[in-house]
Amino acid sequence: MISDWFKTKKPRKLPRSPASGPAPAAAPEKFDAIVVGAGPAGSTAAYFMARDGLDVLLLERGPFPGAKNCGGAAVIAEQIHDLFPNFWEEFPYERIVTSLEYWWLNEDSAVTAGFTSGRLAAAPYNRLTVKRKNFYAWLAAKAVAAGAALRLGHRVASVILDDGRTVGVRLAPPQSAAVLADIVVLADGANSLLAEQAGLIPRLSPLNLSLYAKETIALAPETIEERFNLPPGQGAIISLIGHPTAGYNGTASIHTFRDSVNINAGIAVNSFAAGGFGPGDLLARIKKHPRIAPLLAGGVTLEYGAAMIPEGGYHAIPPLVHPGLLIAGDAGSLVNGTHGINLAMWSGRFAAKAAYAAKTSRDFSAAKLSLYRTLLDESFVLQNMRANAKAAALQRDAPYLFDLYSRMLNEAAYLSVRAYPMPIKAKRRFVWRKVTSLQPVGKILADAWRVLKVVKG
Amino acid sequence: MTKPPGINIALCEFRPDDAWQHVVIAAPEKCRSCREKNCLRVCPSAVFQWDNIPDHPVLVRYRQCVECGACRLACPAGAVEFAYPRGGYGVVYHHG
Repeated sequence: MISDWFKTKKPRKLPRSPASGPAPAAAPEKFDAIVVGAGPAGSTAAYFMARDGLDVLLLERGPFPGAKNCGGAAVIAEQIHDLFPNFWEEFPYERIVTSLEYWWLNEDSAVTAGFTSGRLAAAPYNRLTVKRKNFYAWLAAKAVAAGAALRLGHRVASVILDDGRTVGVRLAPPQSAAVLADIVVLADGANSLLAEQAGLIPRLSPLNLSLYAKETIALAPETIEERFNLPPGQGAIISLIGHPTAGYNGTASIHTFRDSVNINAGIAVNSFAAGGFGPGDLLARIKKHPRIAPLLAGGVTLEYGAAMIPEGGYHAIPPLVHPGLLIAGDAGSLVNGTHGINLAMWSGRFAAKAAYAAKTSRDFSAAKLSLYRTLLDESFVLQNMRANAKAAALQRDAPYLFDLYSRMLNEAAYLSVRAYPMPIKAKRRFVWRKVTSLQPVGKILADAWRVLKVVKG
Repeated sequence: MTKPPGINIALCEFRPDDAWQHVVIAAPEKCRSCREKNCLRVCPSAVFQWDNIPDHPVLVRYRQCVECGACRLACPAGAVEFAYPRGGYGVVYHHG
């Protein structure tokens, strides 16, 4: 008897007949937010939105996060520590960077400057070299643990606009479905085709995007520590300026990983077009250089790759806030010099804040979402980019800058180092005349003034 | 059609999509009059290949594309149509 009473009290689930109501396949799924791209910006945005209780879908076109991006990377630990406290305890970073060097290279020589200190090896660390695959996987796992739904192998074909407002995304085959959301965060990387196709940002310019090639070369950890003069577990980043970029402004670098070394080199896409060579040529130049070849000797190349980085600086940033849509990370050109991961993560964090504010007020207009732009403006992201705003224009106006001055530096160093059978005063005059024969004094001063103006901001 | 130096695509993992080509030259007639042919050199994985015979088309070996997207920006005629491959296909990086 008591069991009968208990049965009547128990809530009964009514079986829903398949005929009643719309079939589940026909109605598109609906989320609070869709994040396109599980990179640093996307996963951070997904994590914070999910943590704040939003229903988040994180879409990634690769088979795992990080599968589609490459290039040696180092993260600035303290900025990420503010987002994810003590994050270095949670994922396998490669090395703690305690040595930062700049090498100005000629064909056969190098003038170097650098700083090494064990002080940089204590937590909170300064920089940590990371493999993208490990770092992105950790970050995406954070988002999933916070409640975001991560779908891999899902490419977004387009954003769905309804009367100018983004209401969702359309997935490319094989899924070919529409997924709706109140807000879409576009974090689809440097070559943001989605925003461009939707007419939200202007067509990308080959002046503003740099193409980098990279090679990962395996070396034993002890060999790396010996060759780069490092204590165990610590790493070096060497920026290579001048010869590696074949006469154009651009950068090359060496990042030390735990058991491999990553070399990157790149210049603007239009410089490649003008120069008539490709990114592979730059890598070949670096590997042949007499100062660099011994560092890599005996190493086995594990992987080659290439990727674009937006380097147009502050003035190349497209409109980032649209009704129902925010653009974060590389897709929004939020790269300062070659620093991108930290800016991407913070832009994702701010996008999440703006999305949450929009969700709580049920207002997804550009005016409400402009909180995102305000937060960016008030943070280091755009403040640092504004400080370097004139750098991109200077590099375009003076395309000889990196190459010529590296050459002069090396020439001056060579002539000064060499002992000549002449009085010291005559030697000074000789060195001065030789160096200024490469660039007249007036032009050197003019360039110095231009650089000073850029630094002043 | 020699392989440019420094290009080591043999070391990349590719999951090629045989059903759909994501990089195409949408307007091949523009290539015939194109004097620069930036695609041939800018591409970091030598996707675009040409035999230097004026009337011959530029070949697009999309299966070895590393998906950087530079070809679309470098093409002076705007003849290259670039999209990302279908989900799960294309290049896969493992070493950062």
